[in-house]
Amino acid sequence: MPSAAEFAWLIPVLPLIGAVAIGLGLITFNQAINDLRKPVAITLLSCVGASAILSYAVLAEQINGGPVVEHLFIWASAGNFNLPMGYVIDPLGAVMLSLVTTVALLVMIYSHGYMAHDKGYVRFFTYLALFSSSMLGLIVSPNLLEVYVFWELVGMCSYLLVGFWYDRDGAAHAAQKAFVVNRVGDFGLLLGILGLFWATKSFDFQGIADGLENAIALGAVPHWAALALCLLVFMGPMAKSAQFPLHVWLPDAMEGPTPISALIHAATMVAAGVFLVARLDPLYSQFPSVGLAIATIGTITCFLGASIALTQMDLKKGLAYSTVSQLGYMMLAMGCGAPVAGMFHLVTHAFFKAMLFLGSGSVIHAMEEVVGHEPILAQDMRLMGGLRKKMPLTSSTFLIGCIAISGIPPLAGFWSKDEILGQAFNSFPFLWAIGFLTAGMTAFYMFRLYFLTFEGDFRGDNKALQTELLSLSGQTIEEEETEEEGSNQSEHSGVIHESPWPMTLPLAVLAVPSILIGFLGMPWSNKFGTLLDANEALDMASNFQLGEFLLLAGASVLISSIGISIAFLAYYRKQINLTKLFVQRFSNVNAFLQNKWYLDDINHRIFVRGSRKLAKEVLEVDAKVVDGVVNLTGLLTLGSGEGLKYLETGRAQFYALIVFGGVIALVLLFGVLGG
Amino acid sequence: MLEFAFNATIEPGNGLIAEVITSDFPWLSLSIFFPIVGAFLVPFIPDQGEGKQVRWFALGVSLITFLITVGAYKSGYEPTVNGLQLSEKISWLPDLGLNWSVGADGLSMPLILLTSFITSLAVLAAWPVTFKPKLFFFLMLAMDGGQIAVFAVQDMLLFFLAWELELIPVYLLLAIWGGKKRQYAATKFIIYTAGSSLFILLAALGMGFFGGGTPSFEYTVLAEKGFGSNFQLLCYIGLLIAFGVKLPVVPLHTWLPDAHGEATAPVHMLLAGILLKMGGYALLRFNAQLLPDAHAQFAPLLIILGVVNIIYAALTSFAQRNLKRKIAYSSISHMGFVLIGIGSFSALGTSGAMLQMISHGLIGASLFFLVGATYDRTHTLQLEEMGGVGQKMRIMFALWTACSLASLALPGMSGFVSELMVFAGLVTDETYTLTFRIVIAALAAIGVILTPIYLLSMLREIFFGKENTELVSNTNLVDAEPREIYIIGCLLVPIIGIGLYPRLVTDSYTASIEALVKRDLLAIEQLQKPASPLIRTKNLLPAFINAPRL
Repeated sequence: MPSAAEFAWLIPVLPLIGAVAIGLGLITFNQAINDLRKPVAITLLSCVGASAILSYAVLAEQINGGPVVEHLFIWASAGNFNLPMGYVIDPLGAVMLSLVTTVALLVMIYSHGYMAHDKGYVRFFTYLALFSSSMLGLIVSPNLLEVYVFWELVGMCSYLLVGFWYDRDGAAHAAQKAFVVNRVGDFGLLLGILGLFWATKSFDFQGIADGLENAIALGAVPHWAALALCLLVFMGPMAKSAQFPLHVWLPDAMEGPTPISALIHAATMVAAGVFLVARLDPLYSQFPSVGLAIATIGTITCFLGASIALTQMDLKKGLAYSTVSQLGYMMLAMGCGAPVAGMFHLVTHAFFKAMLFLGSGSVIHAMEEVVGHEPILAQDMRLMGGLRKKMPLTSSTFLIGCIAISGIPPLAGFWSKDEILGQAFNSFPFLWAIGFLTAGMTAFYMFRLYFLTFEGDFRGDNKALQTELLSLSGQTIEEEETEEEGSNQSEHSGVIHESPWPMTLPLAVLAVPSILIGFLGMPWSNKFGTLLDANEALDMASNFQLGEFLLLAGASVLISSIGISIAFLAYYRKQINLTKLFVQRFSNVNAFLQNKWYLDDINHRIFVRGSRKLAKEVLEVDAKVVDGVVNLTGLLTLGSGEGLKYLETGRAQFYALIVFGGVIALVLLFGVLGG
Repeated sequence: MLEFAFNATIEPGNGLIAEVITSDFPWLSLSIFFPIVGAFLVPFIPDQGEGKQVRWFALGVSLITFLITVGAYKSGYEPTVNGLQLSEKISWLPDLGLNWSVGADGLSMPLILLTSFITSLAVLAAWPVTFKPKLFFFLMLAMDGGQIAVFAVQDMLLFFLAWELELIPVYLLLAIWGGKKRQYAATKFIIYTAGSSLFILLAALGMGFFGGGTPSFEYTVLAEKGFGSNFQLLCYIGLLIAFGVKLPVVPLHTWLPDAHGEATAPVHMLLAGILLKMGGYALLRFNAQLLPDAHAQFAPLLIILGVVNIIYAALTSFAQRNLKRKIAYSSISHMGFVLIGIGSFSALGTSGAMLQMISHGLIGASLFFLVGATYDRTHTLQLEEMGGVGQKMRIMFALWTACSLASLALPGMSGFVSELMVFAGLVTDETYTLTFRIVIAALAAIGVILTPIYLLSMLREIFFGKENTELVSNTNLVDAEPREIYIIGCLLVPIIGIGLYPRLVTDSYTASIEALVKRDLLAIEQLQKPASPLIRTKNLLPAFINAPRL
């Protein structure tokens, strides 16, 4: 029987075929295809489903010790330069394939419910399939250049999906910001790839690592240059995985539909950066100082994300900053030289964060019944509360997610986060301390989200509060909008109720791995680690000391419990007034956090306005100076301004004729003379 | 005055120019004269004056021309061979050494195909032209033949004639069918291009008569001549100005935003799709191929100019509020990669330059066509007068997005491959010092950030956001019609095809490019000999170019 890995190229190709077919249909027979919602959804679901089945088969093969499979062909060549493309299947790739197809499949089912009333339903599914294809292609890429290709393609899908509701100004700006900030990272990635190619004549992961080692040993490449190249390449993952200071695009990207936030901006695409760093482990492990840099950036990101999440009132934004923070943890693990730990957190995080985002989507979907399709209202937790009784399934899965991410045993997040903190403790104790503190903050803000959303009394029908929130965001309720709401009243029931089954089923499914998957990565018997890197897992198991584990894990659980307790007392029992205790006393700190460390403002002032001003000045120079000077020389060569005037009267074609005739005359002259 | 020119310093005939393969069937002459003859038949087509019949005729002629060029490629062109193929030679003025000589090698063939392809689409794009349709289609067809001639002729004097001949239709197309400032734009265009093309004539005469042997303007003969290095430098400067205007190279570019800003969509497609490529082609053909010693000196300058093009034009494009001029500046920015590729002494980089020309020919034509189609609906080109258009024109929005993504070099599309090849060629080019390469690569990569900024901002301002109520109430925003979707589809197929498998195109010219680069590298090695003090560039050279590895 042929091995499944031989057919692995189909995994990205199947969704691509589906997406292209439907996309072409949308361009040519827009109306007809738009009406075929169910058939389109079923086609694309089966494409991704087939990919998922193939991925599981590939994963099973790898678990049973299947060989690494690689197939290449020459894609471009010039001179002595050949560029191979193809695909590779190894344990790391197999894990990611299964993860991405699973989450993508569940998100597609969920979208069937979530996007049911959207007129862009078919377009949405097409984009989803296109994204799945690009993301799967990224995973099977055997070299850096192919990674770059798919890296950009997932970026494009992200652009299209963030800007999905293109009539919203916020979405338009967010989509552009996401693309441009990612391009800043790609700038470094591209230069790094080119530099590594110069240094090693290779794009292949292992080839680069070996080549660079040789080149340094031979003295062909100075050590500092090698470091610089490694850091340049890291700019790519920094942007994609939202690491400080290139994280600014991710919270804005929440303007996209919520299923997208779950799939792209929580579970898969943003994890691509972490995945790439894991792929580059042979390269990065040669340079401890690069590891330190990665760990430091990861830790800063981790702390920054959590600190901003503390004050967010928008449910999705809160989750987005939480994602930023968790991605920081993963990078911290990568920097500690523990890619297995980082990848494990990537997997567990993908499940519970996807579940949390889908849960928030379910809440928003329900809230829209009451407050209308205005994201400022539908996503604000000040208008929520008491949803647990009305949405039991959503609330219980959300709670599971909160426990998992807070690191309470035995749920998934505990095992993966603890492994990272353990690694950090051994490598960089200072960074561990920050990561440890952040764990407490994580528990606090997650339960703050939970209590504000699901417990207490429902505040959604408070019209005064709604108006206040709208005016805070700089919007006023316009005449037509209220009118629209009025007409919506008949459509919307005005009552919160649990979401339909296509939305709750994925939540329930995702709850299972969120609870159980951690058991695959217990430090004394790390099945996940054995699959990815048997040596590292053995090493960990043999070095495992129960005492140290209990101490560190106990401390983590303790600080998480403190965080949860504060949240419980402040937002459930209302026994602590945080406003009085904290906000009024440290108003500067609060403002600093609420303004997201002022990074968006700095970004806007320096880069956005700066580039606009520069561009304007260059255009001015172009129009006045360059054009003027060249025109003047044109004038001088013509003899005088009179000549130009003459030409401007519309007889300039004679000029060309004169030149042309002159040539003919010359030719004839030479011909006659010669004859 | 040009005495130094007689002292040939390089031994001629270094064996890098391959044999000439003559064609049994006059494919190329046919592809030049068929559309021209067709053009002269236009006045005899019965037509009510609205162009309803004559446009079918023009489309037929341009399509047959396209088929002729495809036939030439299929039956008479062997991609793996370096050297002139499909060659035809008829003695014209023997005393002058002037022949009717056409042929195609790797530099010509892809551009000939591009020309006939884009022209046939441009004729289809000209469907709505109702003002003086006969004259319009006459000029379009005349241009078709003229432009193919520019790429196909193998004689420098013929090249000059073809180059000049093609200016007249462009001038008239601009001056008669253009926008409000059409007279000014057309005049500026003609002054810049015709004025600068005098240098071509001078260089052609010089190169034809000097350098020993019987006078001849044949490329193959010129290539064997081995001119003195000072003479080469002189010719090089002149030709660089002439082709620099066409490409265009900043600061000789200011005619372009005016000309492009006033042209109608079909003319626009030809301007961006083909005319700019004439500059790049000529730089490769004459400056890099026929004047290798001077090229060895000037190549660093070309690269620097290329970077200036990329960044400067990207910034001006970003600030530009007029849609047409914005895209026009983006063309200039993209042509910077062609300059860098030509300046690099690597087969990969030069190959990338060639691919960038083809790729931009397709992408530029598609974007300019969309600009025209959008203007037909909005009746404005000012970005602030648009907004939210995407809600009424969804397919148009999709086409715009696809073409803009192609233009910002999204992988999977042709622009990415060509820019990547230029980058990789530059970085691995050991002829230049490491510092120079690092600085240039980093600066050129800034273009990678700037391009999406201006293109995505443009998309956002046209299509995203709330509908501009004034625009919606005044104009009828209908979605794209099948003809328009077809044109963009035709352009997107090769764009994506090249992006997925670039060897579809690159294989057709790599042999020629490799020979060209080999010859230039040889010139670099010779360069280290004591040089003439006439041109000071030489003294700057050690800063950029490493000693040859012997």
